[in-house]
Amino acid sequence: MGLGAFASGRADADPSILGAVHEVGLAAEIYRIARDAAEARGGGRLEAVTVVVGDLAAVEPDLLDFAWNAVIGGGPDEGARLVVDWRPARQRCAFCGDVAERAAGSWLRLCPGCGEPLAVIGGDELEVRTVEFLEKTA
Amino acid sequence: MSRIDVQQKVLAANSAVAEALRASFRTSGTLVVNVISSPGSGKTTLLEVTARALKSRLRLGGLDGDIATERDAERLRRAGIPARQILTGGACHLDARQVGKALGEEGEGLAGLDVLFIENVGNLICPTSYDLGEDFKVVLLSVAEGDDKPFKYPAIFARAAVTVITKTDLLPHVDFDLSAVREQVAALNPAGRFLVTSARTGEGMESWYALVEEELAAKRARTEMAVAP
Repeated sequence: MGLGAFASGRADADPSILGAVHEVGLAAEIYRIARDAAEARGGGRLEAVTVVVGDLAAVEPDLLDFAWNAVIGGGPDEGARLVVDWRPARQRCAFCGDVAERAAGSWLRLCPGCGEPLAVIGGDELEVRTVEFLEKTA
Repeated sequence: MSRIDVQQKVLAANSAVAEALRASFRTSGTLVVNVISSPGSGKTTLLEVTARALKSRLRLGGLDGDIATERDAERLRRAGIPARQILTGGACHLDARQVGKALGEEGEGLAGLDVLFIENVGNLICPTSYDLGEDFKVVLLSVAEGDDKPFKYPAIFARAAVTVITKTDLLPHVDFDLSAVREQVAALNPAGRFLVTSARTGEGMESWYALVEEELAAKRARTEMAVAP
């Protein structure tokens, strides 16, 4: 079942689906932004939408993809691809620069080089970057 | 085929509503705290105890997000402060529109507060991305949940200005390495505040009250500076 009702802001969308994960709401927003962008250029079928998602955006790419397909399923843009451009958060030392490596899921408090406290840089990106669509033929 | 550069934040619509709320909270001089944790970490209990301690000197109010029940707002009202429930109907987080709508419907009851606590839906992931117009986020972690949570849910611990460890009265009964959690939070959020509390015994609660009052005073000082000629 598609989520067109939710994407178009109707109140009768099925709340059990909406509540499942917040990725559903995000996918619906991404779809709205992409559709608006295509409409502003005369409209046409969506082919691919690229979103930038940061490590610390609290978004699971697989769930976002699943939600995307639920949102566009059964509608005119069914089959359009969602491309996730994943951006890791970096840890940076004011003296030594970026920390090159750390174990997955682990974060360092102090610089392995000089022992100074590290800062966390970036990773909170959540942005629609590009929209590709097939123009309507005249 | 055409390709358009969009560069639009996915949550731009929510952020626009949140900024309007933030402007109105600035005008009313209300400090707004977005309280986030997993279910059962003690959000409502922290706010109940806070209400009882501070209501004689501050005008406090609460908005309580919940999937299905009115329980939390009732508990805050029994603790002596105005509160309104936001029923999300299954959704896992609050968004700015729901907050604006609830404040509008409640009208006078939640107007002109010194501090508004927004108790989010119990969830360590989904509420992270949604700006509600708050001054800062607080994340709660109870000692019963385990000491690996900051690294397992880094987004919220990186963004919350304050981490509050709760239920320290249970420490003798659980394996919870407090210093390890402190290290994890410091790695993710070097500038964040870290409080260790038990609402049951009162441990650490004075530092939480002091933080709320300091932040309120700081917000009002900033506002006055901004409007001074």
